[in-house]
Amino acid sequence: MKKLRDRAAELLSQGVVSLVIGYEEGTKRPRPLFCRNSEGAEKLIFDSHCFHNLAVYITKKELVGKERFAVTAPISTLRSIMQLYVENQLSEEKLLVITVDLSGELREFTTFDEIAAYVAQFELKRGEREQEILSKIEGMTREERWKFWMEEMSHCFKCYACRSACPLCYCSKCVVEVNRPQWINPWPAPLANMEWHINRAMHMVGRCTACGACGDACPVGIPVDLITRKMMEDLAPEFGYVPGQPAKQGNALSSWKLDDREQFIR
Amino acid sequence: MSKIGVFICHCGENISATVDVERVAREIGGMEGVAHAIDYKYMCSDPGQTFIKEAVKKYGLDGVVVGACSPRMHEPTFRRACAEAGLNPYLCEMANLREHCSWVHEKSEETTEKAIDLVKMMVEKVKKNKPLDSIKVPVTKRALVIGGGIAGIQASLDIANTGHKVILVERDPSIGGHMSQLSETFPTLDCSQCILTPRMVEVAQHPNIKLYTYAELESLEGFIGNFKAKIRLKAKSVNYSTCTGCGACIQKCPVKKIPSEFNAGLGTRTAIYVPFPQAVPNKPVIDRVNCNYYKRGACKICEKTCQVGSIEWDKEDEIITEEVGAVVLATGFDVKGTDFFPEYGYGQYKDVLTGLQFERLASASGPTFGEIRRPSDGAIPKKIVFIACAGSRDPAKGIPYCSKICCMYTAKHAMLYQHKVHDGESTVFYMDIRAGGKNYEEFVRRAIEEDTVNYVRGRVARVYEKNGKLIVKGVDTLLGGEQVEIEADMVVLATAGVANCGSEQLAQKLHVSYDPYHFFAEAHPKLKPVETNTAGIFLAGACQAPKDIPETVGMASGAAVKVAALFSNDELVREPVVAVVNRLAPPLYSTCVGCFMCETACPYNAIEHEEIKGRDGSLIRTIARVNQGLCQGCGTCVAFCRSKSIDIQGYTNEQVYAEVMSLLND
Ligand SMILES: Cc1cc2nc3c(=O)[nH]c(=O)nc-3n(C[C@H](O)[C@H](O)[C@H](O)COP(=O)(O)OP(=O)(O)OC[C@H]3O[C@@H](n4cnc5c(N)ncnc54)[C@H](O)[C@@H]3O)c2cc1C
Ligand code: SF4
Ligand code: SF4
Ligand code: SF4
Ligand code: SF4
Repeated sequence: MKKLRDRAAELLSQGVVSLVIGYEEGTKRPRPLFCRNSEGAEKLIFDSHCFHNLAVYITKKELVGKERFAVTAPISTLRSIMQLYVENQLSEEKLLVITVDLSGELREFTTFDEIAAYVAQFELKRGEREQEILSKIEGMTREERWKFWMEEMSHCFKCYACRSACPLCYCSKCVVEVNRPQWINPWPAPLANMEWHINRAMHMVGRCTACGACGDACPVGIPVDLITRKMMEDLAPEFGYVPGQPAKQGNALSSWKLDDREQFIR
Repeated sequence: MSKIGVFICHCGENISATVDVERVAREIGGMEGVAHAIDYKYMCSDPGQTFIKEAVKKYGLDGVVVGACSPRMHEPTFRRACAEAGLNPYLCEMANLREHCSWVHEKSEETTEKAIDLVKMMVEKVKKNKPLDSIKVPVTKRALVIGGGIAGIQASLDIANTGHKVILVERDPSIGGHMSQLSETFPTLDCSQCILTPRMVEVAQHPNIKLYTYAELESLEGFIGNFKAKIRLKAKSVNYSTCTGCGACIQKCPVKKIPSEFNAGLGTRTAIYVPFPQAVPNKPVIDRVNCNYYKRGACKICEKTCQVGSIEWDKEDEIITEEVGAVVLATGFDVKGTDFFPEYGYGQYKDVLTGLQFERLASASGPTFGEIRRPSDGAIPKKIVFIACAGSRDPAKGIPYCSKICCMYTAKHAMLYQHKVHDGESTVFYMDIRAGGKNYEEFVRRAIEEDTVNYVRGRVARVYEKNGKLIVKGVDTLLGGEQVEIEADMVVLATAGVANCGSEQLAQKLHVSYDPYHFFAEAHPKLKPVETNTAGIFLAGACQAPKDIPETVGMASGAAVKVAALFSNDELVREPVVAVVNRLAPPLYSTCVGCFMCETACPYNAIEHEEIKGRDGSLIRTIARVNQGLCQGCGTCVAFCRSKSIDIQGYTNEQVYAEVMSLLND
């Protein structure tokens, strides 16, 4: 912790970066901290409770400004950063990524290749909660699954917290705000909720890195993260993706490879 | 409120026989925003069009819907009529009441109701239509021809003779293709080289043709009228501007045992070589795989013999870029080797040959100077068997199609054999004789009747070697499946014609479609035989399917005319049905967030990056932009854009949504 604070203070005072996005103690759990000077850096913490996905802030221009900034990132955040890079939302010159590795050492990344190599060492595993709910869902028939999600989604009141929490929901105009034509009815109702959630799922397929931020953010506890997570897991056998590792080119639904194993597509 | 005019056509009785057209016009006339609705016997006729023009003026229409046949048929007609009346042509739409309704349903209430729905959808769409302008793109009046067989030669000459520049790219060291390997040609038995060589020379000397041999296409970017071709000039190791083509180096090269490609493996060549005496250009290249110097670092004998110092050891492949407006693909075909046939000995028997090898034996410039001799012992075969359809028309071998040329060249081969070996005996095993074509049937009959070739209808099950003879076991299906066994001295397989190697990769580089056998696909099997699905790229010759020389030449001239027609315009006019990325006022500029998912989805590489810069030149954002020349309006990007920032003009999300909702809101 000390090392992190010292390094952050150093980076800020030396003017290497103008902002460090990290975590500080919160009432129930760590919360985001935006430090712009070395005093602020004194409050930085980094431990296993720090899972709030800070990558959501790094695409916000009004927040990060024009200068170089740093962000502290646990492994799930690193995955989001890689996906954002693939989607042309980040540039190497502007970003310094800091993490603490398994041995407690501070590590800094200045290129996305370094991050990719680091992330590749970690396998994406289901946690207890994910395993419990997903195995239940996987045991259901199609009809039961539909019923399960209809019931879950009926609680949604369209606060869009899931969207706000997702680092990959960075569009300046989300499809829910498009009104010519109005693709998604704005009110919360069973059908209109499904419109939103099916759209959200389709927009995340091949992109979601399973950080879980959306599910974590939902005030009524809908496990929305599991839909996109499951889709991502399923891409591995079908499309040869490595779950949690960003696709280098495009997206499972858009890219096409010369050596595709499906003959019909050639 | 909109003022839409609706015109329902009877199409004679094509529509009115099953659809109550008067009711359609009446009910649509009552729709909100419809100012005028009528029905008429032939809307496309002169009086029909006049109704439209007059209504546009009289009612001040701001949209027109014609309920008639397929827009493929008459959309241009009605749009032109609207334009003549002063209405933007893209404010006119058609509802297909014929193919989509009257022709596919019986006369009934429901058929009429469906027709009403179809028109209603279009009315709702037209309400959202915006005036559009057609797109104009300039044309670079130079053609790229890929492949220098007879197809490429003919296309190049024809285009060059219309006064336009041609760049001809040939993969091998010489142009000529398969035709240069042939002995004599059916159905007239004139010598192939004699009719081909003058054309090859003409290509080399034509002021409008730039020839690159030993070269291949690296990549093609751009769109009709505006392609950029990158061409790899493979290192020849010989400087062509100083080489005189004297051939001294070839005489002295110590590596002499390389199977000659030109002689289909029956003769040999050296490492520095000219493929055949009449080659164009008649200058050698060094085959670096087999050359002693490139293999082991020592030799350089050719360098010592060359009087003018033309050998360039360190020459590297060069990549050049050429700008062209059209491309003709003429990369030809290939034939299966004898090794493809386990039942005929997997290519182990020296005296089992392909038709192409037989051509070399029969050719005066071939390894035996035109005498038919066995590769194994040089003896003249007294009994010869020709097997037609070797591989072709055999789904089990993955080649269900007919190779088309084999029946004819097999008859030719048998005839040539009889002319050269007077006491010889020839047998042809065939499935059917396909001799469609001018003088073709007569040619085959001549082989059978005058040259006494023995034709046996049936398949050959097996060929094997025994005591220096080839035992051919087959059946004669005309004699009730009787077993036939022939002790032959030579067997010639008319092996299937297949797509040239590398054709799949080439098609992918050019974004042209190809069939399951990797032959390039024409845009329409009847009406667009030389066009591809990619505008500006045309096909000539056997790269589209196996075909003979007359057909190849005809097709090549056809492709050349298409190119010349394209080059007769200074600008191309295109329908504005292309994608556009929305633009908004600052500070938003666009709802596009520059994720470039659309770029990965676009099959035509039409998405570009546009940098939005501030007054001081600093980069504000990078967003997508559609290259209107490249975009084919397929809409893939639209489906992909999460923020709905991209739309197809004339088929916007809003328009299509309105169409769908008009059905659902009933
Ligand atoms: C055994 C046999 C006998 C025949 N006898 C007769 C006959 O008697 N009468 C008759 O009318 N027809 C005959 N034919 C058919 C005739 O050979 C073809 O119709 C003709 O060769 C087709 O010409 P082409 O230019 O389309 O293809 P090809 O002759 O195959 O020429 C293609 C050219 O393209 C070049 N090329 C290939 N790929 C590339 C690339 N990627 N880049 C650049 N260049 C490339 C090749 O090197 C070649 O020079 C015979 C065919 C065979 C096999
Ligand atoms: S888990 Fe949820 S928040 Fe995280 S990337 Fe996937 S969709 Fe976005
Ligand atoms: S966070 Fe929960 S309640 Fe809010 S929109 Fe998302 S799923 Fe619905
Ligand atoms: S148009 Fe849509 S898909 Fe393309 S870059 Fe912009 S936001 Fe992404
Ligand atoms: S419409 Fe099709 S061709 Fe045009 S930019 Fe979109 S994906 Fe590409």
